[in-house]
Amino acid sequence: MLFNSLHFLVFFPVFVGLYFGLPARWRAPLLLAGSYYFYLSWKPVYGLLLAATTLLDYFSGVRMSRLATPAQRRPWLYLSLASNLGTLFLFKYFNFFTDTAVALAAALHLPLAAPTLALALPVGVSFYTFQSVAYIVDVYQGKLEAEQNLGRFALFVAFWPQLVAGPIERGGQMLPQLRRPHAFDYGRVASGLRLMAWGMFKKVVIADRLALLANPVFDHPHRFVGLPLLLAVAAFTIQIYADFSGYTDLARGAARVLGYNLVLNFRQPYLAASVGDFWRRWHMSLSGWFRDYVYIPLGGSRAGRARTQLNVLIVFFLSGLWHGASWTFVLWGALHGGYLVAESLTAPARATLARGLGLAARPRLQQAVGTALTLALVAYAWIFFRANNLPDAFYIATHLFSGWGQPLAAQLPAALAGLGRHFVAELLVAAGAVALLAAVDYRAERGSVAAWLASWPAAARWVSYAGLLLVMLYCGIFGSSQFIYFQF
Amino acid sequence: MLKLLLRLGLLLGAVGLLGGLGLATGLRHGYVDAFYARFAAPSAGSLVLGTSRAAQAIKPDVLAARLGQRYEGPWLNYAFTLAESPYGPGYFSSIQRKLAPGTRHGLFVLAVDPWSLSLPKNAQYRGATDPLKPREKAAIFPEEKSMVSQLASVSQNPNFDYLAHYLHKPFYQLLLDTDTARVVERLHHDGWLEIALPPPTANPALLRRRTAEKLATYRTLAATNTLAVVRELNLEHTISFLLKHGQVVLVRLPTGPEMAALEDQYVPYFDDSMTRMAHHMGVPYLNYLHQPYPTNDGNHLTRTAAAQLSQRLANDLARLPTQP
Repeated sequence: MLFNSLHFLVFFPVFVGLYFGLPARWRAPLLLAGSYYFYLSWKPVYGLLLAATTLLDYFSGVRMSRLATPAQRRPWLYLSLASNLGTLFLFKYFNFFTDTAVALAAALHLPLAAPTLALALPVGVSFYTFQSVAYIVDVYQGKLEAEQNLGRFALFVAFWPQLVAGPIERGGQMLPQLRRPHAFDYGRVASGLRLMAWGMFKKVVIADRLALLANPVFDHPHRFVGLPLLLAVAAFTIQIYADFSGYTDLARGAARVLGYNLVLNFRQPYLAASVGDFWRRWHMSLSGWFRDYVYIPLGGSRAGRARTQLNVLIVFFLSGLWHGASWTFVLWGALHGGYLVAESLTAPARATLARGLGLAARPRLQQAVGTALTLALVAYAWIFFRANNLPDAFYIATHLFSGWGQPLAAQLPAALAGLGRHFVAELLVAAGAVALLAAVDYRAERGSVAAWLASWPAAARWVSYAGLLLVMLYCGIFGSSQFIYFQF
Repeated sequence: MLKLLLRLGLLLGAVGLLGGLGLATGLRHGYVDAFYARFAAPSAGSLVLGTSRAAQAIKPDVLAARLGQRYEGPWLNYAFTLAESPYGPGYFSSIQRKLAPGTRHGLFVLAVDPWSLSLPKNAQYRGATDPLKPREKAAIFPEEKSMVSQLASVSQNPNFDYLAHYLHKPFYQLLLDTDTARVVERLHHDGWLEIALPPPTANPALLRRRTAEKLATYRTLAATNTLAVVRELNLEHTISFLLKHGQVVLVRLPTGPEMAALEDQYVPYFDDSMTRMAHHMGVPYLNYLHQPYPTNDGNHLTRTAAAQLSQRLANDLARLPTQP
């Protein structure tokens, strides 16, 4: 079930009505049933995988909680890790690795035949396996008490607002909330609904509209050079932010309506002043996961400068691979790893340059320059994330700034074809919506938007809510297109 | 909770009212797309069936003007596209839903060509059960997931089912399309799809380019598809059903000369096959394939040619013996 579908439009109010209509003791079972219904609506058979993963992790956790030493707990840790990561490997990476091995063998003129599996990737598998891995490692390390209640643990894994695309929650954050009763609270429900409306606006007005601008170019990049490529990259840069942060707002808003707080996943990432800062603001729950379960166990920054840089590269290689079983994602991750290493190595030189240019004395200007450069680097890396294959990615990456002297008349109609014949109106709507998103992000950078909204006169607030809903109704693109991160 | 419900009710009520007003205006004066009007039209007594060639070539108002005394109305062009309405179970179900209940003396013009009776060469229909299970239908007929096959409500105005599932442009664009003089593609209330392009003679180079593109698409189709018995059976099934409700006529529509040559090359025996089927089913078969009518793209007739062909078709149909 997609958040931007009619199915969800019916499911959500019915579910919330039932949830608060039932006595408190029935709410958690209803939430679990609702979560499985939500998940099974994609493909029922995937529910078996989710249930099997849940059972194995639950019993591993319970068993570990009864064992005194890490050595005794270790077999259960390995069993759980093997099961979670094995599932992920089988469904997501098996064909990628075999295809790569076969291609490599062919290049070396070695005979190698490998089977391919006709398995569809279960929705959300990357998210819930990472959440389960975090839980099991925390229990193993003694940072977290194992959950003894199977139903509660199953709900922790399958909680529908964040099951399919995060945020990736930690047991320590989520399980205590699952143990508490959740009564109806006007302020919290209203705040959750506001967040959902904002998330939906980002998805149906901004992301899905910009996809119409980006897709024709990314699907046939060789037809374009220069400006159309740059426009498509810019469109995708905003699209992916609006899409993923829109989904996260919907997830966090829905959870808040039900009485749960999910972790923050985005903090105005395109206002970051460096790539390192960007990764502290973008998909924060995943960055935190890689920091705690990969980077720090690898030694983090404690084992010397070279090792630290290597650890960063490893983390970003894995992060790229996590996003998709394709070399385009791997390269995207590697590029970000490279950015961070370069950023670290050039820090003293950049500081000297900033002083030399007088930027150090003008922190706002320095911040603005840093933000612009970071955004450009991040946008350039998105080429590899979005391109359909490596040759396309390299073509776009190398033709972005060429052919600017060529006449646009032949290229622009094809580049704007996705927007239809009212492309001028569509561009105006997109520009207006993106300006609103930028203004809200800028405001959020200075303090809570909710608190700022609360300071408005009630009439102005309600008119703004009605306005937002009307803009969605009139300008939304409702084709039930999937959220980008659902594929991961 | 009451406070929230009250406020939400007021908010959604206001938004619904303003949204509804805009939508109503857009649907009344604007333009939805190349399909909607057929699903918003009342159920029909006489139908034009087929794919895009028929959608653009046959004007129901011309047929109605000449034959309205002989056959029941309302008259509707219920032809869509090759992807939506080749002859198969999905289109057949949709036709059943669209036909006005109690029709006894309707006229049903079924446009036939090799493309609308073909399937991909790799379609797996041998060994399928009879009647087909939904999963088998979906595996055999690519159009099973299309709107024509899926849409349950085909005669509602406004058709919210259609708007909710298949309107992929934002609502505000309905309001931008109120000036029909600026719209190239106009779907009339009787289902005829008018393409308001300048005559092809005005720009021969453009016509050559469009024709080349169209031919390239159909050459690929010819290479990957084959005339399918299972589609012919579905056509027979459709004819049998419609014969209970009036007169059925099979028509092979004119097209561009290169496209006609490609069709002859793709299925050289198609004409014989249709003649046999028409004879077997006891219905007339009119073949206009090689008649010289101008097209917009080497495939679809121009709007002027559509009017001429419709008139000729009406005259030819008028000469048919009246059914009891």
